[in-house]
Amino acid sequence: MDNAVEAIGLTKQFDKVLAVDNLSFSTMKGEIFGFLGPNGAGKTTTIRMLTGISRPTKGTAKIMGYNIQTQSISAKEQMGIVPDVSNIYNELSAWDNLVFTGKLYDLPKELRETKAEELLKMFGLYERRREKVQGFSRGMKRRICIAMALMNKSSIVFLDEPTSGLDVQSVLIIRETIRKLNQEGLTIFITTHNLEEASQMCDRVAIINHGKIAAIGTPEKLKRTVQGLQSVEIAFETTPINALNDLKELPNTREIVKAGDKFRLFTDDPSSVLASVWNYAQNNNLKLVTVNTLGPSLEDVFVSLTGSRPATEETNRSVKSK
Amino acid sequence: MMKDHLENKPITNTSRSGHFVREIRVAWAIATKDMLTYYTKPAALMFGILFPFTLFLSFSIGRDIPLAQQIPMLIAQTLFFASSSIGPVVIPMERANQTFDRFLTAPVTLLSVLMGKTLAGIIYGVGISIIPVIVGVAFFGSQIVNVGALVACFALSSLAFSALGIMFASIPGQTPGQVMMPLNFVRIPLLFISGLFTPIGDLPSWMQAVSLLSPLTHTVELARYGLGTGGFFGPVINIAVLGGYAVLFVFMSIRFHILNQRKE
Repeated sequence: MDNAVEAIGLTKQFDKVLAVDNLSFSTMKGEIFGFLGPNGAGKTTTIRMLTGISRPTKGTAKIMGYNIQTQSISAKEQMGIVPDVSNIYNELSAWDNLVFTGKLYDLPKELRETKAEELLKMFGLYERRREKVQGFSRGMKRRICIAMALMNKSSIVFLDEPTSGLDVQSVLIIRETIRKLNQEGLTIFITTHNLEEASQMCDRVAIINHGKIAAIGTPEKLKRTVQGLQSVEIAFETTPINALNDLKELPNTREIVKAGDKFRLFTDDPSSVLASVWNYAQNNNLKLVTVNTLGPSLEDVFVSLTGSRPATEETNRSVKSK
Repeated sequence: MMKDHLENKPITNTSRSGHFVREIRVAWAIATKDMLTYYTKPAALMFGILFPFTLFLSFSIGRDIPLAQQIPMLIAQTLFFASSSIGPVVIPMERANQTFDRFLTAPVTLLSVLMGKTLAGIIYGVGISIIPVIVGVAFFGSQIVNVGALVACFALSSLAFSALGIMFASIPGQTPGQVMMPLNFVRIPLLFISGLFTPIGDLPSWMQAVSLLSPLTHTVELARYGLGTGGFFGPVINIAVLGGYAVLFVFMSIRFHILNQRKE
């Protein structure tokens, strides 16, 4: 039995809305599995069914071999959960939040206090353990929430958007912790909008759209499925106001995405686009500071499968009219 | 650090004690957490303490009844309102913060979770309602003449009313008000058919039959037996009916929460 999670025909119907449609997939023990999809695709609903919060309309799931519905106690003993909202007790201190979680898992007193101390130190919050968490920042609350998910000796942790909207320090601590825990044998099931994060961290990803799995595999394997999607990334020292419109008119450019001060020009012929960009820069007295040719990213796979670009960074998109 | 993740066996107390004892421990942990977190929330203070005392004063001031005889009324009202208010305060707030999900993902049964919530209501109700007993005995000449009746009154009423609150808290809502409003549609009419303000013996026979069905009637009567002022139906019927309601409300609260989980 090498599967950490096994979803078998999971279906969730809310009145007339079919949120999750006969979903079947499995994740292997010890891997970081990314569960990606646009808003409303059914990611959180799937996690809620996998973790026993919500009951599926049809189908079932196994966690470390235990059926979440018929062997729910054994299945739940195997998992820790970090939902998309930091569901901690604001009225309690950081210490009390962790100790209470230990009590929910019926850990002996000595063990829960040792674990609480160890985790608070690990997440850099031990010095503030006696403070009520309502005064904590969003990132600190997130760290407490993840620490609570690790109080039990879980075999798998479900993380729903663990780094979404957090400060850089918290994001780095959380990513580092996830990697470290995974290296120690913990299976990680993660949903994220940050495809760069997924691409860097996950052993395998599944892309879900309209409640169905659109693709599943390693990030590199998925990128190969859209091999035709090549692009040229450029940045000027000073970006002209009308650059987006001008670049859109360059020959052989299919689509342009502006992200920060960079432009990404999608094309089937990178060399011809490079030449055009060079001419454009010369004619307009612009200095090119970045020029990269790129293969397809996980984001490109996501866009080609779901038809929508994840809204994690400020992007400006322009498709060339024919 | 965290090396224990490498082993595949979760750390729990299951091996060193039975499943039942474990569930009791978890229920107690939930109850104590609720006490620390929610007893002093404005909604709990308003619906659990202010409401019954205000109602009592509204109906007792100016009436020509010795205060010692009114103490059982106050005990019954505080037991009724305080016990049934904790579930409707705690559960919607936990639903809004998604902390209720913690219980659903923990390796405990829904029964233990709801028992913990019910226990928090029981302790709140008993803690508040014991005050009128102490005040009545200390300052107004009340006497405890039947300890058994008073204990049965407190134990069964707080259990039944706390479970009533938990049952109503299954109504999907994220603020206490969304649960308190329908609950008060039940609680307030019960005040007028339960012999609190009009003795049951003075009611027409059809109203007496309706009173028999109200759990609050039996709380009032057991409190009166306990403090020596007597009742209409008799303590055996009082205990049987209250016990029946306690079982029914606990069962219904579990059923409703399971149904709720299916809809989530």
